[in-house]
Amino acid sequence: MRSYRLKIARRTTYTENIFGLEFKYGGIKPWPGQFFHVRVDEGVELFLNRPISVASYKRGHLLLVVKIVGRGTKVLSMKKAGDYLTLFGPFGRRFRPVHKKSLIIAGGIGIAPLHFLAEYMAGCNIDFDVLYGVRNKDEFIFRSDLKRMASRVTFVAERGYKDKETVVARIRRMDLNDFSVGYACGPREMLMALQELNLPITTYAFCEDFMGCGCGLCLGCAIMHKGVYRRICVDGPVLNLGDIDFEVQNL
Amino acid sequence: MTARFLTLEILILKCRIFDIEFKNPVFLASGTFEYGLIYRNVTNRAGAICTKGITARPRGGNPPPRIFETACGLINSVGLENPGVDVFCKETLPRMQRLKTRIFVNVAGFTIDEFVEIVGKIGPRVDGFELNVSCPNVDMGGVSFGRDPDVCAEVVARVRAVTKLPLIVKLTANFCDPLVVARRCVEAGADGISLINTLHGMAFDLKKREVLIQGGLSGPAIKPFALYCVHRLKDIDVPIIGVGGIMSGADAYEFLLAGASAVEIGSAILRDPFSPLRIIKELKRYTG
Repeated sequence: MRSYRLKIARRTTYTENIFGLEFKYGGIKPWPGQFFHVRVDEGVELFLNRPISVASYKRGHLLLVVKIVGRGTKVLSMKKAGDYLTLFGPFGRRFRPVHKKSLIIAGGIGIAPLHFLAEYMAGCNIDFDVLYGVRNKDEFIFRSDLKRMASRVTFVAERGYKDKETVVARIRRMDLNDFSVGYACGPREMLMALQELNLPITTYAFCEDFMGCGCGLCLGCAIMHKGVYRRICVDGPVLNLGDIDFEVQNL
Repeated sequence: MTARFLTLEILILKCRIFDIEFKNPVFLASGTFEYGLIYRNVTNRAGAICTKGITARPRGGNPPPRIFETACGLINSVGLENPGVDVFCKETLPRMQRLKTRIFVNVAGFTIDEFVEIVGKIGPRVDGFELNVSCPNVDMGGVSFGRDPDVCAEVVARVRAVTKLPLIVKLTANFCDPLVVARRCVEAGADGISLINTLHGMAFDLKKREVLIQGGLSGPAIKPFALYCVHRLKDIDVPIIGVGGIMSGADAYEFLLAGASAVEIGSAILRDPFSPLRIIKELKRYTG
């Protein structure tokens, strides 16, 4: 891990509350599943850094895609090209995807880390399909990119399309026999529903949480995994969905 | 940073507390640097490290959410997650002994006997102990001990009987006067006092209309109060270690002015794991 002071090379607005920050970055190469801890406030009012997944890394260009969910991400959204940001990272365990036919299952802003995974898999010539669902049809990002990289892409939306559908409902009537492995990222409710479906393929979940340090020091981002608390930041963020227990209890 | 800088830094900041020499008076606070094994370059340059609180039995800790940001600080509710004293002695301690810094083990007993048991099991393999009678995130022991001067004194006296190493008592300021507790602890044989541990705090989930997190508040939000508490203990005749929202060399120096012999860096580490190095460098400007 290192800390970087990077200039925003470009700011892209994808939707009303999703934006991308692109940096020229020559530091440690990020891997799928990894994230950066972004300082939002050089003062101390917004005290903690925000963990943001790598959405793309190509030839020294690092892209972070952020959805405005609270005050920290709101402050980030007001940064312009040319502004400087302090980043720490890359954090998180390096995740190496399996060389088998895969299915990417993305819900909402969960597409961000999965887009980077897709980029990586396309680079390794791994065959994969994408299932990508959002609440409202205007919220899709990276549509053309995904169409170019994946063998097949399915877009579903809960609002805006004629056939309203959620990711979970869609996957229930999908034939998963072609696939060996799945990668899921999205709201916790989606991950929980996927877990309940007991998919016939090994599914890896890209987890998220509020984080303190991002690097395993504070034990703040705990998740129940095989009966013990693991740290999402260093033991994850990619964990086998079947091993996670979302119904947590005090040990 | 160059070797030259390092020598200068050591010359200027070297200090002697509890009859032990420290590279500098900037310590790593318990619970924010785990066991110092992740970023060794930081641990090795700090004056000392206080480990994550060690309990007699392994503890899984509290359910998430464990961290929540509040204005100028954060609330944590980790709940003393640690492998327990036996695993700590067998697996973690041998690795920690290779660190080039002073090691203080933060001891978190739920009963007085547990304090004695933990200190006894660790023995003389470390540089000292920090007795945690102030954790706000557990039901037994912790802050409920720290509020009661009699219990604190008993903990110190009983532990004193099994170790000759420096004993620091980490005090709370939650609904009690740390001065009263500190006096009793010193009478009972404590070699030093560190304060303050986190303050009680909570936050609500507005949508669900229920408690989101209840735990210990730390960070710059509590610094003025921590400073006041340290200053209040200035006439105690054992070294005081100031803790609470130190973000810079200036903050650290303020604690030294208030009467502390050393400071511990806690929340600042969560924001930037390398911040202790910066604080040491900045502090040099004031004390040099």
